[in-house]
Amino acid sequence: MHEWSLACELVRQAETEARRRGALRVHSVKASVGVLTGILPELFQRAYEMARQGTCLEEAPLEIEVEAVRARCPECGREVTLHSPALVCPDCSGLGLEVLGGDGIFLTSLELDVAEAAGGNHV
Amino acid sequence: MCDTCGCGLPEEAKNQAHEHNHDPRHTHREEAVLYRNLLAANEAQARENRAHLMEHGVLAVNLMSSPGAGKTSLIEAVAGSLAGKLRVGVIEGDLATDRDAERIKALGFPVWQITTGSTCHLDAAMVHEALHHLPLGSIELLFVENVGNLVCPGLYDLGCHLNGVLLSVTEGDDKVAKYPVIFGHAQFFCITKWDLLPYVTFDAAKPQREARILKGDLKTFSLSAKSGEGVSSFLNYLLAERAALTA
Repeated sequence: MHEWSLACELVRQAETEARRRGALRVHSVKASVGVLTGILPELFQRAYEMARQGTCLEEAPLEIEVEAVRARCPECGREVTLHSPALVCPDCSGLGLEVLGGDGIFLTSLELDVAEAAGGNHV
Repeated sequence: MCDTCGCGLPEEAKNQAHEHNHDPRHTHREEAVLYRNLLAANEAQARENRAHLMEHGVLAVNLMSSPGAGKTSLIEAVAGSLAGKLRVGVIEGDLATDRDAERIKALGFPVWQITTGSTCHLDAAMVHEALHHLPLGSIELLFVENVGNLVCPGLYDLGCHLNGVLLSVTEGDDKVAKYPVIFGHAQFFCITKWDLLPYVTFDAAKPQREARILKGDLKTFSLSAKSGEGVSSFLNYLLAERAALTA
């Protein structure tokens, strides 16, 4: 259910940025969702589609990239990549892994049309 | 066609200067790489809350569980037992009603109720607002009872020093693996309604083992707010954490 409030925050930040850059049109929005956030990409997608209504993102589809967990094992010292939230070292079964990434949710980029300096005569 | 603005002049004229009678703005498509943290505003507010509580020497404890696991009962049991040792205050979070706050008020402890309406979790801004309504100068231990939900509260840092999850024996011993995110954000884990263990099928070793897999350093307690069994070791843990905060 927290997908809704995060989708509203995504729309708010994307709109602010598009306006700041003087965008004439936003073509697409990209977001990254870490496995440790527990956010369901499908629900986040649907929440975004509702949250963008009436904004400059109405024509901009959302691409979600799921970010795996990166962690360091205190037992064997290796840096590992995990695709589930269970923090167990796949190499030595060590516990208490130090999380290095995959625990956040980000607006990663916007693809947009921006105006160049006003035209006139050009070659 | 003009290859700058695409305005359709014939090929032979494209290198000649020409007037535009269409929208004079030329546009180009660009990718704005941002990498903006959507939880940044909450995290900044949480850091501020933590610092503010720290200034007042208040240890703040966020209690999370599904509805009915016994968060309010645990607060009642702990707050009563701490009389004369630590002064307790409470923030209650619920979708609706102030029933939990009324229970705490009846015991004489300062309490503020947050009614979230439709929001399924507390966030740092809600806690910040609630802190204005509590006498922080006369509180040493603040419980923040989150909205009953094993999913969403795990993602929101409230600015507490400790996050704990409660799981009652009546909910089943499979919940840790089913709701890994919230346990992954916790520092302690209480198995509650321990007095009901003889009447339910609940293998206590299983959630403890699964919790250790998710979070190797998670402190685990088994207790009953009703019978008082196991509450003292939880109390000692809170007293030690409060002492460490102000050391």
